[in-house]
Amino acid sequence: MNALNDPIFLAAVALLAPIGAALLLVVLPFVRHRGAPAAGLCIFGSVLALAAAVKLLFVHHELGDARFAVTWISAVSKPIAEIGLFVDGTSSSMLAVVCLVALCVQVFSVAYMHDEPPRGYGRYFAYHAFFLFSMNAFVLAPNLLQAFAGWELVGLTSYLLIGFYFAKPSAAKAAVKAFWMTKLADMGFLFGLLWLFVATGGFEWTAKLDPTVAVGVTLLLFLAVVGKSAQFPLHIWLPDAMEGPTPVSALLHAATMVAAGVFLIVRADPLFVQAATTQTIMLWIGAFTAVFAACLALVQRDIKKVLAYSTCSQLGYMVAALGAGSAFAGYFHLGTHAFFKALLFLAAGSVIHAVHSNDLADMGGLRKKMPLTTLTFVIGALSLAGIPGLAGFFSKDLVLASLEGRFGWVPWGMLMFSAFLTAFYMGRVLCLAFFGNLSHKAEHAHEAPLSMSGPLIVLAVPSVVAGFFGSTLAHAVGGHYEAHFVGLTPIVASAMALAGLLASIAVYGRNRDARVAGAIEGLDRASAVDRLWELGYRRALLGVSSVLGWIDRYVIDGLMNFTGYTTIEAGAAVRGAQTGRMRHYLVAVVLGAVLVAVMGLVA
Amino acid sequence: MSSWVHLLSLDLAVVGLAALVMLLDALASLRGRTIGALVVAGLVGVLIASFQIDVTGTTPHGAYVSDAWVLFFKRIFLCAAILGVLGSIEWLDRHAPKRQAEYYALLLFSLVGMLLLPGARDWVLLVVAFELMGVPLYVLAAYAKNDTTPGEPKLAAEAALKLFVTGAASSAFTFFGLALLVGLSGSTSIAQGAQMSPLATVGLMLVIAGFGFKLGAVPFHFWVPDTYQGAPTPFVAFLSVAPKAGGLAALSVILMSTGWVGAKELWAPAIVVISIASMAVGNLFALPQTDARRLLGFSGIAQIGYVLIALAAATEQGLAMALFFIAAYVFTNLGLFLVVHAAAQDMGGHGIAEMSGLSRRSPWLGGALLVFLLSLAGIPFVIGFWAKLFVFLEAYRAGLVVPVIVGIVLAVVGLFYYLSVARQTFMAEGKSDEKIHAGAPLSAAIAVCLLAVVVLGLWPGPLVESANAAAAAFLGGR
Repeated sequence: MNALNDPIFLAAVALLAPIGAALLLVVLPFVRHRGAPAAGLCIFGSVLALAAAVKLLFVHHELGDARFAVTWISAVSKPIAEIGLFVDGTSSSMLAVVCLVALCVQVFSVAYMHDEPPRGYGRYFAYHAFFLFSMNAFVLAPNLLQAFAGWELVGLTSYLLIGFYFAKPSAAKAAVKAFWMTKLADMGFLFGLLWLFVATGGFEWTAKLDPTVAVGVTLLLFLAVVGKSAQFPLHIWLPDAMEGPTPVSALLHAATMVAAGVFLIVRADPLFVQAATTQTIMLWIGAFTAVFAACLALVQRDIKKVLAYSTCSQLGYMVAALGAGSAFAGYFHLGTHAFFKALLFLAAGSVIHAVHSNDLADMGGLRKKMPLTTLTFVIGALSLAGIPGLAGFFSKDLVLASLEGRFGWVPWGMLMFSAFLTAFYMGRVLCLAFFGNLSHKAEHAHEAPLSMSGPLIVLAVPSVVAGFFGSTLAHAVGGHYEAHFVGLTPIVASAMALAGLLASIAVYGRNRDARVAGAIEGLDRASAVDRLWELGYRRALLGVSSVLGWIDRYVIDGLMNFTGYTTIEAGAAVRGAQTGRMRHYLVAVVLGAVLVAVMGLVA
Repeated sequence: MSSWVHLLSLDLAVVGLAALVMLLDALASLRGRTIGALVVAGLVGVLIASFQIDVTGTTPHGAYVSDAWVLFFKRIFLCAAILGVLGSIEWLDRHAPKRQAEYYALLLFSLVGMLLLPGARDWVLLVVAFELMGVPLYVLAAYAKNDTTPGEPKLAAEAALKLFVTGAASSAFTFFGLALLVGLSGSTSIAQGAQMSPLATVGLMLVIAGFGFKLGAVPFHFWVPDTYQGAPTPFVAFLSVAPKAGGLAALSVILMSTGWVGAKELWAPAIVVISIASMAVGNLFALPQTDARRLLGFSGIAQIGYVLIALAAATEQGLAMALFFIAAYVFTNLGLFLVVHAAAQDMGGHGIAEMSGLSRRSPWLGGALLVFLLSLAGIPFVIGFWAKLFVFLEAYRAGLVVPVIVGIVLAVVGLFYYLSVARQTFMAEGKSDEKIHAGAPLSAAIAVCLLAVVVLGLWPGPLVESANAAAAAFLGGR
């Protein structure tokens, strides 16, 4: 078979091109330290990956699914783990989305990051290449074990990317927070994995499980998703993670890292459909997060934080749809959201680059200075708001339709309300940043260079038209979908979107002092959750650490010093101290041995 | 007699090597480096021989057995010794030029003790081997008595004394427990020593306590951080892995022997408690440490906690994965200590703060350090990931849910301090940008460890298979 028509070959290229670039950057410091060649190498790897991924879409369309796996670790009797590539409609389409967004982000970064010193610049692109590899390894995983490995690597590289400005304390802190919140949740993944293996003897996506085991395993996996996909109550790391470079936010917090959680559920759908309890929990958590995060997005002053909370909210939509048992709805929304949210983040990055501030108060009237950025941002915002005809409309409609009639229409109502809020906060950003009078800082703003606006245009296209490929996607993943504009859900959803936009124009359109906004500020208290977590995890970890450090330093050493000072003459203090300490050690050994012996007797 | 001497041919070769080293030192005036190179060459020869010649069999009365299990351990010990010697050559040359041959000889004697351990099926042989392993270590721990890194306190005597006194106390328990066991059964055979009486149980527990000392398991761990801090670092690299593997071998030989494995409800709870305590104390006390050696000491205590979970599973697979884990740990921890040693020589101390900017001063040492840290932390595609995963899998399969939960949670804590060390070396600005040059033998040792950690991380299959075969041979051939 011609290699270019071999799905496995293409998938392998998509997987290995980025890691090849990353490894070259690691072993060739002189390339990395020069900056620009590093960016070139990274982007070259991504172009290869994207080309392979796009070709793979067509090949998959013709040839269907393909699976390639080699025994990774064999037990005595049968292979317990395989490594390989699994190409089906879901993974091939996700692969294409991930590669496209990653490439756009990398190209955008070339100009965005050009003030970095060359070393930092090279390091940045090395991280990017490594991240793309991790993500692709996750997406193409033929079983949960490889997915877990990819998942962990995604977590690790996202930590590096979010904390890229490590010299800035808030960025370092945000990276640590993101890492720990997701890490906490990852324990669920590992535990689910262990349970799955013990129950079935393998790590298959499609294992058949007992009802209780199914609920247990899927709940544990869902815990990991709650962390990675920033669902309530583990969502708090996402807004903080905006400390990273803006293109990183576009990559991680739109299309890849946070989407990995949702993708995991889509992938493991055969497991989740066996656990109705888990799905119900997912539905409610998703719906609640959608509303809750949308409320918080209303009151943010930082343009990136609006987008961050918006991402939480939209991920809530996806999780709710998955909870309603409609994996395709969730996956479709994942795909369209990846495009328009990446677009919004990059456009926001372009604005921040021009204004040198994240604060909406420093922006205003940018449409005159940055017409192209404004146009693309508007497209992204309208798509996100769910204006009929744009990509976001179709997928959001499908999510909402999947909830029709469930639980007395309550979740449906929540998401409808959230749709209104979504349109409202995006309208608010549009009014404050792009329309109205020019603010002081915005006076010197100018349109971004082509290398930055190019990716915006590229992403704007699918943000508009991706919705029309719904049936193609459905066909590829083995489902059925037909777009429709008439019916209860589409009409109410469209009305909500329009109402939200109009309301925001009414509030923010003319006067920017925003009296009504003051009333909404109260919602900011909702971030009490954030503080609670902060208190919990920081106090717990740092508290334990400092208490033990104190014990180590003062109790153990202190006892010894105390003995030293009180029992012997000065000068022999150190020797006396050793005796004291040694005695303690011996006491511990004796007590330990006695304890162990007693344990034996009791047992 | 000659019918079974070949079972001990590897061990005897090492004894011969030790004798040769002492003879050469007395008769010929060789340079220390030459002796070091000779030792390495000799050990590599023995390691190769372990693959070439057939040494399997059993002595007439069953006191000593040689099979796949024994070979697995012997190869681990040999690797650790080779790497440990390679790492020590330059330090010795610089800091103890007059006492080099003794160092190698002592290390080789300790190695002989280790080599004998996994095959011992008789209490007397086991204990003698265990002491033979332990006694030379006391001397070696004091080797830096005249020497210290400028600015750091002289801790060598303290380090050795602590190791010795707590070690002696532990041995006392072992012997007392042994007296009970042998006295009750009237036989020195380990397999026949098992008696289901309360007194025998107490005896067994006291023996476990004694061996727990070498493992550095809680509550017999107090010597670990102090000794690691005071003893010469390249020696600590060896001390932190080989005797621990020895302790694991000895514990497995006793607990999984015919008599005791059937009574696992007697000893497994104790092992579980020790394991949980070790993971908790090791991980939590590692958090506030500022000296890399102390941090690694506590982290090693935690790692032993993970191995013990697998041992507590008391299944063939569990035992196999304990072997896999210890092999992974040997390469990772040895490499890590050697990197710390290489860095500390030029960076003015073993403090974690002193490691700032290591990646810039020597990208290769920095990179190696990162890989070893990731391996200990259990990040995918390095060997430590598999080690932890397998141990958790097998323990979970054996129904040990609580220790697995504790282990997984504490592994996250572990990640915290491993990554904070990595951050320090990669992100913090160093005091100078001057390049660091680790010497050739040290670099070679680090490179071998790195290669093992990465290659076995990408392709753990062969090691898993040989660990499985070792466990099967051990349990099948009892």
